[in-house]
Amino acid sequence: MASTNGHGAGNVFPIDSKPIDQDERDCVVVVGSGAGGGTIANQLCQQGIRTVVLEAGPHLTGRDYVNDEWEAFNQMAWLDPRTTSGSFRVARDFPNLPAWTVKAVGGSSTHWAGATPRFKDHELKARTTYGDLDGASLLDWPISLEDLEPHYDEAEKRMGVTHRWGRPPLPANNNYKVFANGAERVGYKRYATGPYGTNAEPYDGRPGSIQDGFNFQGDKDGSKWSTLVSELPKAGRTGNLDLRAQAHVVQITHDTRGRVDGVLYVDRDGALQRQRAGAVVVACNAIETARLLLLSASPLFPDGLANSSDQVGRNYMRHLTASIYSRFDKPVRMWRGETMAGLIADESDHDEDRGFAGGYYMEMLSLGPAFLAAFIDPGAWGPDFTAAMDAYEHTAGMWLVGEDMPQATNRVTLNASVTDQHGLPVPNVHFDDHPNDLAMREHAWAAGVAVYEAVGALGHVKTPPYPATHNLGTARMSERPEDGVVNEWGQAHDVPNLFVADGSVMTTGAAANPTLTIVALAMRTGDHLGERIRSGAV
Amino acid sequence: MATVARPGVQPAQRTLLTRMVRVMFPHDRFPDGPYQRTADAILEAAAEDVRLRAQLDQGLRDLDAAGGAPFEGLSDEQALDVLRGMSSTAFFEAVRAKTILTLYNDPEVWELLGWEGASYSKGGYVSRGFADLDWLPDPRIEEAS
Repeated sequence: MASTNGHGAGNVFPIDSKPIDQDERDCVVVVGSGAGGGTIANQLCQQGIRTVVLEAGPHLTGRDYVNDEWEAFNQMAWLDPRTTSGSFRVARDFPNLPAWTVKAVGGSSTHWAGATPRFKDHELKARTTYGDLDGASLLDWPISLEDLEPHYDEAEKRMGVTHRWGRPPLPANNNYKVFANGAERVGYKRYATGPYGTNAEPYDGRPGSIQDGFNFQGDKDGSKWSTLVSELPKAGRTGNLDLRAQAHVVQITHDTRGRVDGVLYVDRDGALQRQRAGAVVVACNAIETARLLLLSASPLFPDGLANSSDQVGRNYMRHLTASIYSRFDKPVRMWRGETMAGLIADESDHDEDRGFAGGYYMEMLSLGPAFLAAFIDPGAWGPDFTAAMDAYEHTAGMWLVGEDMPQATNRVTLNASVTDQHGLPVPNVHFDDHPNDLAMREHAWAAGVAVYEAVGALGHVKTPPYPATHNLGTARMSERPEDGVVNEWGQAHDVPNLFVADGSVMTTGAAANPTLTIVALAMRTGDHLGERIRSGAV
Repeated sequence: MATVARPGVQPAQRTLLTRMVRVMFPHDRFPDGPYQRTADAILEAAAEDVRLRAQLDQGLRDLDAAGGAPFEGLSDEQALDVLRGMSSTAFFEAVRAKTILTLYNDPEVWELLGWEGASYSKGGYVSRGFADLDWLPDPRIEEAS
């Protein structure tokens, strides 16, 4: 349970950690503690399986988080050096920051806003539904929505998703009033304040939202679901969890038969440590997952672990991402309240008449002045820019999130000429927008402008993609080993006791925010791995 | 926030840089304080960064020459034209990038723009106007049936 210290301090949800011997082989190592890693760790611990979670970042809690955008960013974000290439604008605007993810216990689940739409049946059959799009490496998922549904049900209950299973909706905040009235006036029907993974009222030992408006900065109260406040504390209570923070895994090791047998990691003092394991689960977010598999190359796996298909790191997706900020003659004060508790689903279907494949969601969004200045129109300056900032109090914002096309050349590789603080090659993220992405983005911008014009917007800024929080596809699931890295259970095609449990496994990206699906898949993989361990197969 | 010029920095450089930052990001309702603090942050960064120091040294001299008269004597429109002419230089980009990170991360600027800053210690906005917008009707919050 939370130890509540009153507003001003922040809530701490203790995580019990019981040491597991570093030479113990009768355990599973999970690399990463975010939505995928934290969830699968809990799933394993609940089955009585001893689990070591190795998290590269520190153990921050609600008491550490700060209501300050840049200070929080510098505290939480994954800031190890990275490089970029390709024609995407991020390579110019933020050349060393292709992604905005978290390096701390709870991973990017401490940073996510909370939107939890499910993926759709046709999105899991993307190749069949969209056809053979030039330049796209589309593939159908090896599982259907029917396979995922029981796990979606369970994930929604576990996370306390609003609008589902008796959980009440969040109330409308100011930004939502503009967003939803605009939606209604342009004729959209499928708008609501959720589904959303933050408590409207107390649930599961966590409080209801106090609408503090800070979300990407970590939730000081714990009303938002994250593995930090939910899955890991639950895992800890089983007595089967050993959580090690500031443990940066640099290599997955294997035996002579090609079965993984442990990991090497750099501890908080900079010393190299070994943890043996009967199975390893990689859940480091798509860029670092691919990097770790590539770093784990050996004479037996010369192109990287689990990479006989040459698919590790390829098909990197980052979702459509774009935003609209509109100004009005009256105040909005968009920053007050839940950041993303507003969603329009009317454009989320596949409708070829729009001139592109796949769909997108419109989701309410707010940034404070510090981040709005950095992201609203990177590189801009002068009177037009300051006019947009001067209208801050009268501004409403939305994010546009949709399916981007996988491409074999959009790819995470090791950059041999740049190394990180441990001397390891940094990941390079290469990305070119697919024409389908560009067409969808133009459509989404126009649709977003229409929503705000319907309620009297005076002007707009069309914000381009910024560092990605949705990083997907670099170890994709496939039916055939030659098409991907893992099978439908998240198990590496090449290595039977190696699993992946994060957004990397997504065969295609779908339109929806990925966290709910990462959790559902991690639960599915965790159940499967538990069965294999019990049957002696792993 | 320190407002003392760094050793080696001429007061005239600080004044010129402050003017440059204001022309680059003009907000009529901002007093000089936020712009001066931004200029100081750039000069402080330059004290630790030889490349930036060199860019400033050359760039500020160019700034005074480009408009055919000292930059500080130019009208807002003339000064803006001078900056447009320099906007592709590394000097300009270094100043712009640092300004974005500093000027809008200033509590006085937050207040000027209307943002209320940290809210958790005040109990969030649940009792402090998170839904006080009254110029539109209250919309549906449930999903369409």
